[in-house]
Amino acid sequence: MSRAKLASLGLDLPLLPTTSVGSFAKPDYLVEARARHARNELTQAELERLEERATEFWVREQEEIGLDVLVDGEMYRGDMVAYFASLMGGFTQGGLVRSYGNRYYHKPIIVGEIKWPGPMTVGWWKKTQAMTRRPVKGMLTGAYTIMDWSFNDHYPGRRPAAMALARELRKEVEALVEAGCKIIQVDEPALSVRPEELPVAIEAMHVVTDGLPAYFVTHVCYGAFEFIYPAMLDLPVDNWDLEMSNSGLDLVDLFRRHPFTKDLSFGVVDVHTHVLEEPDVVKERVARALSVLPTEQVWLDPDCGLKTRTVDETIAKLRLVVEAARAARRSLGVTR
Amino acid sequence: MELILANTGSYPRVGDTPEQQRLRRAHHEREQGQLGAEAFTRLQDEVTGEVVREQLAAGVELPTDGQIRWADGLSYLAANLNGVSVNGLLRFFDTNTYFRQPVVTGRLTRRGPLFSHDYRQAARAAGRPLKAVLTGPYTMARGSILEGGYRSIHALALAYAAVLAQEVAELAEEGAPVIQVDEPAILRHRADLAILGEALVVLARGKGAARLSLATYFADPVPVYDDLQELTIDLLHLDFTYSPALGRVIGERGASKALSLGLIDARNTRMETRETVFPVLDQVGRRLRTPAHLAPSAGLEYLPRDRARAKLEAMRRLRDAYVGDRR
Repeated sequence: MSRAKLASLGLDLPLLPTTSVGSFAKPDYLVEARARHARNELTQAELERLEERATEFWVREQEEIGLDVLVDGEMYRGDMVAYFASLMGGFTQGGLVRSYGNRYYHKPIIVGEIKWPGPMTVGWWKKTQAMTRRPVKGMLTGAYTIMDWSFNDHYPGRRPAAMALARELRKEVEALVEAGCKIIQVDEPALSVRPEELPVAIEAMHVVTDGLPAYFVTHVCYGAFEFIYPAMLDLPVDNWDLEMSNSGLDLVDLFRRHPFTKDLSFGVVDVHTHVLEEPDVVKERVARALSVLPTEQVWLDPDCGLKTRTVDETIAKLRLVVEAARAARRSLGVTR
Repeated sequence: MELILANTGSYPRVGDTPEQQRLRRAHHEREQGQLGAEAFTRLQDEVTGEVVREQLAAGVELPTDGQIRWADGLSYLAANLNGVSVNGLLRFFDTNTYFRQPVVTGRLTRRGPLFSHDYRQAARAAGRPLKAVLTGPYTMARGSILEGGYRSIHALALAYAAVLAQEVAELAEEGAPVIQVDEPAILRHRADLAILGEALVVLARGKGAARLSLATYFADPVPVYDDLQELTIDLLHLDFTYSPALGRVIGERGASKALSLGLIDARNTRMETRETVFPVLDQVGRRLRTPAHLAPSAGLEYLPRDRARAKLEAMRRLRDAYVGDRR
């Protein structure tokens, strides 16, 4: 059904489409430039020129590797929530908090009414799409996750904050659609954390996506899906992009017990290890995906964003995804 | 009402000033091979002393070591056990933090004492005894991948309990007045309360003169409130932030255990006020065994450091005002 939707949107993708989740490693010159920009040693325009250069680099790499649906690599973003919070009205930047190991981020604080400031990702989507003939995903972080990963000093509770965010994020999605974007990924990695709040996340996603002519993807990772599956399938998106390999493909058994009814972008390489998988390991993961899902429903990609890997590791992992997809297509007797 | 001001567990190890970020820099240097193990341990000791003094300055009467050495709630313990390796990342309950999952492949044994150095060093910095905090055996078992050595979560929880019992005994010997066992997982797996009960009996054997505390958080404890009262513990910590009914339930049913009231939200920056705290204290106060503890709902490392300290300061002001008002 979703392939029919893709076709209706004018998207002719091969069987087992390949893509990636969103972020890539920033080249060293950009890391340094962002630090200089933070110290006011580099202007915004100078930084943006380097961000565009890095985006173009990743577009060419993705094309050369052979991915079917491209991403902009998020060269202009730091953290996936802090980026939006830094642009939207109603937020202030909080102090550093730890995410894991030695990684920290500035967790935003909601201090007033949330307001859409005008397009936040559309300009980058347009620039990136202009660099390639392949479809580029529009990407933003979802309302539930922005709420969950922010402190809230303003709204009376979590649901009111999520709904306020959803109303404003819909404007961003409408702007992406108007710009011509046909595949839009709304990342909701916090979705699984409070099973009792799944209805809030679903309600918020309805606000963001209902009635809009695009193929919607959501990316969720590192969660306790056993508590929300299969109820999570009620989320109004066409495709779930799930981390599978880092958790030993344990979700496959869940899908065997209750069929997965949406398209699934199946993470076939682990992004949290420097180790490059053997090609046969990735092919085996593809085979496991196809053992529980109709081929037409399966996309292949890495588990999560690749920004924590080096440029070389990222390219090598993406190449593995594409090679595994090609091998699977050959074994299915199709060329694309 | 006598209320002791306690910290619940972790304290932010990094803040926003360059001085408060030296542990972060040192981690990076250690990963790059630019900092030796001894210098790194010395810095961890320094930062431990710093966060203990910060808790004391904010008015906390029963501080913790801040758990600044813990990579996460599970792998810090697992990495020091035989029979376990450490696997990929998984979200830690409903937080935006992650832990590395232990993979149990064989029988669990300690490579040596785990926490007594941490405790001794922190207590020296504090100049007084501290609350010692450990992740409990049930939560360890529930968060592990079981590939060998044991046949069930039940058996694995008891194996973790046997290992942790040695830690409890050593901490008691060090003079920890309260040894807290964190068991957030039990609120999501209520059917396993009997397993937790057995594991706590094992831990209690080594506690000596210390009080054994059970900490539950990150979910509503009301559905198991009565069951928790039956466990072999001296003190029960409850997270009030998930349950608007908890104060009323305690007021109605009373408490056979001394309670640690997690009324200070450790997950949000909004500051507590008389209006949010006093009505709950009124509800529970007449049914409390004293002394009770007033504490953050969970570890404080989910907050920026300045807010964590501000929360502890607010906790002191609120306690003093409440006791003054009701005297």
